[in-house]
Amino acid sequence: MNDCGPMSLPVAAETLARTLEKLTPAGADDADLYVQYSQSESVALEEGMVKQVSASTQQGVGARVIKGEAGGYAYTDRLEPKALLDAASAARAIASEGGDTSPVSVHESRPAHRLYSSTNPMLPVSMTQRRKLLEDIDRLARSIDLRVKQVFADVSASFKQVHIIRIDGGHISDDRPLIRLNVSVVVEHKGRTETGSAGGGGRFGLDRMLGGGEAERLTREAVRIALVNLEAVDAPAGPMPVVLGPGWPGILLHEAIGHGLEGDFNRKGTSAFADKMGKQVAAKGVTVVDDGTIPDRRGSLNMDDEGTPTSRTVLIEDGILTGYLQDRQNARLMGMAPTGNGRRESYAQPILPRMTNTFMLAGHDNPKDILASVRRGLYAVNFGGGQVDITSGKFVFSTSEAYLIEDGEVKAPVKGATLIGNGPDVLTKVSMIGNDLALDPGVGTCGKDGQSVPVGVGLPTILIDELIVGGTQA
Amino acid sequence: MRSLSKRIVELAMKNGACDADAIAISDTSNQLRVRQGAIESVEREDSCGIGLRAFVEQQDGLAFASACTSDISDAGLEQLAGQVLEMARISSPDPDAVPPAGATHPEGVLQAEAESPVWNIEAAKRAALACEKAALDHSNAISNSEGAEAGFGNALIAYASADGFAGSYTKSSLGLSVSVIAGQADAMQRDYEYAEVRSAAELPDPAALGQRAAQRAERRLGASGMASGQHTVVFEPRVALSLLGHLCGAINGRAVLQQLSFLGDASGKRIFPEFVCISDNPAHADGLGNRPFDGEGTRTSRSGLIEDGVLTGFMADRYAARRLGIEPTGHARRGLAGDLSIGPSNIYFHPGELDQQSMIAEIGDGLLVTELIGFGVNGVTGDYSRGAAGFLIESGQITRPITEITIAGNLRDMFSGITHVGNDLTWFGSRAAPSVAIGSLTIAGQG
Repeated sequence: MNDCGPMSLPVAAETLARTLEKLTPAGADDADLYVQYSQSESVALEEGMVKQVSASTQQGVGARVIKGEAGGYAYTDRLEPKALLDAASAARAIASEGGDTSPVSVHESRPAHRLYSSTNPMLPVSMTQRRKLLEDIDRLARSIDLRVKQVFADVSASFKQVHIIRIDGGHISDDRPLIRLNVSVVVEHKGRTETGSAGGGGRFGLDRMLGGGEAERLTREAVRIALVNLEAVDAPAGPMPVVLGPGWPGILLHEAIGHGLEGDFNRKGTSAFADKMGKQVAAKGVTVVDDGTIPDRRGSLNMDDEGTPTSRTVLIEDGILTGYLQDRQNARLMGMAPTGNGRRESYAQPILPRMTNTFMLAGHDNPKDILASVRRGLYAVNFGGGQVDITSGKFVFSTSEAYLIEDGEVKAPVKGATLIGNGPDVLTKVSMIGNDLALDPGVGTCGKDGQSVPVGVGLPTILIDELIVGGTQA
Repeated sequence: MRSLSKRIVELAMKNGACDADAIAISDTSNQLRVRQGAIESVEREDSCGIGLRAFVEQQDGLAFASACTSDISDAGLEQLAGQVLEMARISSPDPDAVPPAGATHPEGVLQAEAESPVWNIEAAKRAALACEKAALDHSNAISNSEGAEAGFGNALIAYASADGFAGSYTKSSLGLSVSVIAGQADAMQRDYEYAEVRSAAELPDPAALGQRAAQRAERRLGASGMASGQHTVVFEPRVALSLLGHLCGAINGRAVLQQLSFLGDASGKRIFPEFVCISDNPAHADGLGNRPFDGEGTRTSRSGLIEDGVLTGFMADRYAARRLGIEPTGHARRGLAGDLSIGPSNIYFHPGELDQQSMIAEIGDGLLVTELIGFGVNGVTGDYSRGAAGFLIESGQITRPITEITIAGNLRDMFSGITHVGNDLTWFGSRAAPSVAIGSLTIAGQG
């Protein structure tokens, strides 16, 4: 509802130049200012009423100096010159021995990519229209099945405008829209209660969420999953073949290998993948990429939070480990090139190497043949969250919709179970790869060191010959 | 900050709100990381923000909205007030909406003075370096470090309501943590130790903390799997904290109202064995979650959430309390952004009699869990399945490290199946737990 065209920087170029000079001692390897202005709005429906309408405005500056392996950071939400200079002094304390740098002049440019609209995603759809959208979802969900007892729906949109002023005075900016629609339902039957949820979104305007039947599709999906779970039996416990469905189950890649290939862990030698570059870490035929350049995707960026253009990095090529995800500092220290993966949740956090959209390329197998090849196993098509210990390589991800496979046929749904495996060898057990690559619907959020950033994942249907399924039926 | 929160409430009322309240938070924090004996990063943050909730009369009742901003200039505040009112007018009226006016506020004047910093960057650096050095020097098995981190901060929280109540309080904390790696290549194991306290005087010896982290990492070396089966499981204190989290999610009054809790029918019922007591205390000497009033200005007090195994009631803000037909319990939680939520202040188990070693001896055979990963807990059904690592217990002794397993069950059975609560109550910020043993869980693994 707040009109806000392309942001003019709320700080004068002259102030930025002086702050940058104050920030950067001679001999620094890198330094930058990160100016952020973001707005977000969320409307949520529960119990048939739009009860939670909220908005937030966040502005601030992060100042950073890098010297060798060390970094000094200071964050402030006050944009007046004195606060900026204080922040610069605090950040610079890390490398205090150097004298002042020579004067810089600030010059502006735009990122190389134009992957999404630079207009505020909230503007096309009024609050009243958003309210009606949620009320329609509520009515539809309840009309699909009488066992639907509770409906939760929320639509959120944010518009984050960032300006990065680099050590050489280069000033580059990016306007980042992001929207999301979620639907969850609670169903009850004969004293048993279960839930189902579905969501979608990306870097586009809210108007796209309203057209094309997206809200109806998500609503039907949430109800379908909840009703499936109403029939779920106890999940099995122990090692067995697991077929992962296409799309969101790509969270496997994010947890099992993605985090372990982030530059910081490999520079420090703390990742289970640290000594595996050029070695076989997956079955032949497995190729995994991280691609921040797919238009409109939730995990995509025109540039990362250091101003580096995002790119497509091949992490695993035909089973061989080929790439790391890099920010500027870790790339420099490892003698590699930055890959456009330096990200921060906001101005008030440090840069870390992070994923964008991480997925496995399609293979040649027919998904039906993959299922038919399994005598007894698990078919998992929807997941909740996952987590990894990057040092031991152990990772987990938890099913929210899964079925038993018996004699090649999909049978009874099973209750949610956590799957656990070992990152460096799980992909060596991939024996079939489907021709049905799909990306997730735009719901992923990745956490690292307390920072959350939007990401995407993708996967074709695959068969993993053995993974431990953590049900209750041993 | 108090005047800032009062001012935004007045602005909201001037713009047509029939009731409003606001929270303002200013925060200064410092973090320092060292790795391999050198400073890796120094971070400093100054922040200040304000969150406003405003109510408007609509034809069919009261409606409200909330918004926050870190722009506390006059223009920023004007925009915030205007934005909230505009949003409140499109919210649905809720017959049960409870405006801030009339809350049971604490008595007396609550006006906090801004505190001086609890620590300084030089002392933090010395502590972090000593902590990491002790961990790295612990034994030849320690091969690498993820670093040590020391941080400290002060926050001032101010609240004002249109009914005239205004109060503020401060929070200070300092923390020290370290994470190290034992072993090489495919056999690497990582573990950590941390402390979070209110003042430098309460901080444990940094070297001792570092040594504990190193011991934890080293004893995991050589971990392997185990066969699937039903076993007694002992959660060590830092792992047992997660049980408090699951309990809080399930006795949250709003979750109960929305059929999102597996304990919705359990108020007044025995859900733990008789020897289990769990309390919430907003004025605890050891907790970092102290608060004289909650997120809507309601006076807080100690509550016995679980007494002799019985769930005494649900945690509620004023809205949930009205709908549940109970008194507000002072559990409204509020950050700057979004609507209120419900949660504890300082929640803790009451310790039992046995130390962990005696518990393990009594149990005989089972698993000591020292780490849980993943999010496989369904709050609606109580179904539970998480990744785990720990140590095998055979004939009353710890025998070998275990990895790559899951533990699964249902929280209702896990709560009622607790067999032992240890005497080793340990505080972690605003939560405290001792070792807790649970009679039977399904372990899935290979070995």
